[in-house]
Parts: sequence; C-alpha cells; structure tokens
Amino acid sequence: MFTPLDPLLHSELRLAVMSLLISAEEAEFPYIKEQTGATAGNLSVQIDKLATAGYIEVEKTFKGKKPCTLCRITPVGLRAFEDYVTALKSYLEVGSK
Amino acid sequence: MEENNKMTAERSLEIISEQIEQSRLTVNKNLSWGLIWWGIWVIVFALLVAWLWEHCGGPVWNWLWAVMWLIGYGGEWFMAEYKRPVPPTFISKTIGQVWGSFGVFIGFIGFVFGLIGCRILPVELVVPDGHVYINITSIISLCFGMASTLTGFILKNRIVQVCGIIAGLGGFWGALHYPWFEQLYVMAAVAFVGLVMPGLVICFKNQK
Repeated sequence: MFTPLDPLLHSELRLAVMSLLISAEEAEFPYIKEQTGATAGNLSVQIDKLATAGYIEVEKTFKGKKPCTLCRITPVGLRAFEDYVTALKSYLEVGSK
Repeated sequence: MEENNKMTAERSLEIISEQIEQSRLTVNKNLSWGLIWWGIWVIVFALLVAWLWEHCGGPVWNWLWAVMWLIGYGGEWFMAEYKRPVPPTFISKTIGQVWGSFGVFIGFIGFVFGLIGCRILPVELVVPDGHVYINITSIISLCFGMASTLTGFILKNRIVQVCGIIAGLGGFWGALHYPWFEQLYVMAAVAFVGLVMPGLVICFKNQK
C-alpha cells in the first residue's frame, strides 16, 4: 500500500522551493528564483500556495531602501517535507523490488 | 521549472537532491572566497610587518594587524553589499562561528599583549614573575590550525583537515624556533596552508 504523496509538495517548483529552504534558515526571493530558474510570477504564485498552507513563512522587509521578500520554512512545512520524503521512499522501495 | 504534478518518485528525489546540492555548492563557493580573502590579507600583513620589524624599529609594527582587521571586515562588508545574497545554512553558520571565535580569541590575545608590549598594561598581568617568554604567534598558529581543521571536519573534506593540522602544528613549531621577526614568515606560511589552500581546494572541488 502506497502512502499518498502530499499534492502541495508534489509539484516540481514547490518541491524545489521547499528543498532549498530545508537546508537554509531563510532565503531571499531573488535567490530562490535564481536557483529554481522559475519566472517571478510563477514563483510568486507557488510561494503564496505554500505560505497559505502554513508550510513557509513570508516576510516582506526592506534592505536599505529596496524591498526584500524573505522566505523560511515553518515546523509544519518541515514535518510535511519529512512525511513527503518518507512516502517517496515507499514508492522507490517498491520500484526497486 | 514549471508546474508539473505528474512527477515520478525518481524525479521528485532528483529535484530534492539537485536543490540541496546546488545550495551546498553556493554556500561552499561563498566560504572559499572568505578563506582566500582573509588568507591573502594575513600573508600580505605578515610579510609587511616582518619587513618593517626587521628594518624599521622592531615589534611595535605588530599594531598594523589592527589595520588588517579593518581592511578585511571593511572589504567583506563592501562585497556583501554588491554580491548576491547567500542564505545562511547550518554549515555556513557553524563555520562562521568557528572562525568568529578564533578571531575574537586571537584578537583579544594580540590586543592585550600589544598593550603589555607598549607598557600600557603591566607584564605581571599575564606573567606573574615577569620572566616567562610567551610566543603569541605559536599560540595563534595553533588556534589557526584548529579552526581550519574543524572547517575540514564540518565540510567533510580530508584535504582541508590535513591543511589545518599542518598549519597548526607546523606553525606552532616554526614560531617557537624562529621567535623574532622571522615568526611572521611562519605566520604567512600558516595563512597560506591554513586559509588560502583550503579555500582553493573547496573552490576547485566546487567547479568539478
């Protein structure tokens, strides 16, 4: 029996964002955009979805006079990511048998 | 990267490992530049202070190290303003704390001994009978080596660990054997082996 995969994380861009944030304490929007290679509009939409689900926290701040959007993973997001990886393992184990 | 909800488990795993690896490489690149930056300044100032000590008036030129701190931190601050921000990770923070602690400890030791050298503080403050010789460069080299070795352990890089051990023990021994202005040549060698070489090793490993 397969464990169902979290549909919110089972998307290339959202998964990439979460994977980036898992290893960083916080990351700025331009950094995430550069690392994932996504467009600003698409990334913004996916970040909103993750934030609405409570998986990440988005903080709008200023760096000098420039606006700066900081994203960081929440404990809920961390848990969801762990569960996703655990579920993923069950698929891979079956696949390798 | 587009919206795709029909990924295979393999593709999901690939995305996770790709992003974690990419983030690790970015952090390493940033770290290697920091090591090379500080290493070059330590070498430049060690050679400069050694030359001035030998030709123009003695160990009082060690106060120039304070200028190195100003240039080093000033340059780092300036570069941070212009280069793309790198997110803090557990590894980068831990390595920063290791080198930060090293800087605070040797900065404090150098400052106190500098004040003693200028007779602003009494020598008895550190050495009660006033007759024991303490070679600060050997202590600094040892701390240098420890910080470098710890960086190697955190990054799981054997070459950086070996560089740290050689810099620490070699510098400790070298500075004790060459106690006058020559100890600063030892310091320059320690900075090359303990900072510049690990920086280059991390940099080249990243490019592979």
